[in-house]
Amino acid sequence: MDEDLRRVIFETFSEVFETMFFTFLEPLEETPGREELACGRFVEATISYSGGCTGSFLFYFPWELGKNITVNFLGVDEDEVQDGQVKDTAAETANMAIGGLLGKLDPAGKASLAIPQARVLAEFSPETLLGKSGLCMFNTEFGILWVVGTHA
Amino acid sequence: MAFNILVADDSETMRAVIKKTVSMSGVPVGEFHEAANGKEALAVLAETWIDVILSDINMPEMGGMELLKKISEDEELRKIPLIFITTEASDARKEEAQKLGVAGYVKKPFQPETIKAILYEVLEKAYAHRLEENAGEEAGEESDF
Repeated sequence: MDEDLRRVIFETFSEVFETMFFTFLEPLEETPGREELACGRFVEATISYSGGCTGSFLFYFPWELGKNITVNFLGVDEDEVQDGQVKDTAAETANMAIGGLLGKLDPAGKASLAIPQARVLAEFSPETLLGKSGLCMFNTEFGILWVVGTHA
Repeated sequence: MAFNILVADDSETMRAVIKKTVSMSGVPVGEFHEAANGKEALAVLAETWIDVILSDINMPEMGGMELLKKISEDEELRKIPLIFITTEASDARKEEAQKLGVAGYVKKPFQPETIKAILYEVLEKAYAHRLEENAGEEAGEESDF
């Protein structure tokens, strides 16, 4: 993935996270420490597009991150949040982030977004993502957001 | 007189956020109705009096653009203003929506102020007399103190 695309991804994702969830992203260039790579509960969201250009993106939210953006999105207490809402927020995040990205990469609007999907991964190790082409990592207050994307 | 609002979005969470944003905007709301796609929205419209529709574009089964097309083909339904709240904000999509008679366009992610401004703009255009009546009623209520 070239640097220009990485920059556009960061700008677009930051707009979504700051506007909707009051959460700041910071691009992470170095391999995270052991603690951040540990196996744990994650939410995976996927979305793709096709038409004038094609691409697909996978988002991996550590549970704490997913839960906290849901709390901020809905404006509810932490203990009121249900798993389904966390999943739904992850899918909607993928929709907003990639919809925004597509608006910049395909201004003529030839490509169409598919419906985002999300699922809970009870035991997932983000270590398996290291080395994948198209991997972007963003540091947040609640853990690392992992994104693996392709665009052509 | 309050407005009945239909929120169509396949994300239940997004519907909740939109309803909360509208409730806090000061727009007098009668009832909120919800739909997870265009088909469900049409079913609600067939049974319920709706004053304004807030709809996503990217939805399963029937998306927002097809919903708008169906509404524009119906003599009665086409009087109901529809506002898109969507990630799909390319000029081509906006143009397509304008041709079909969309009343407003809000890009996700959105600031609550944007929804408020566009909703008021659309309501003033479509129902100016009702907003005035409502303002009058509120002034009357305040004068009781």
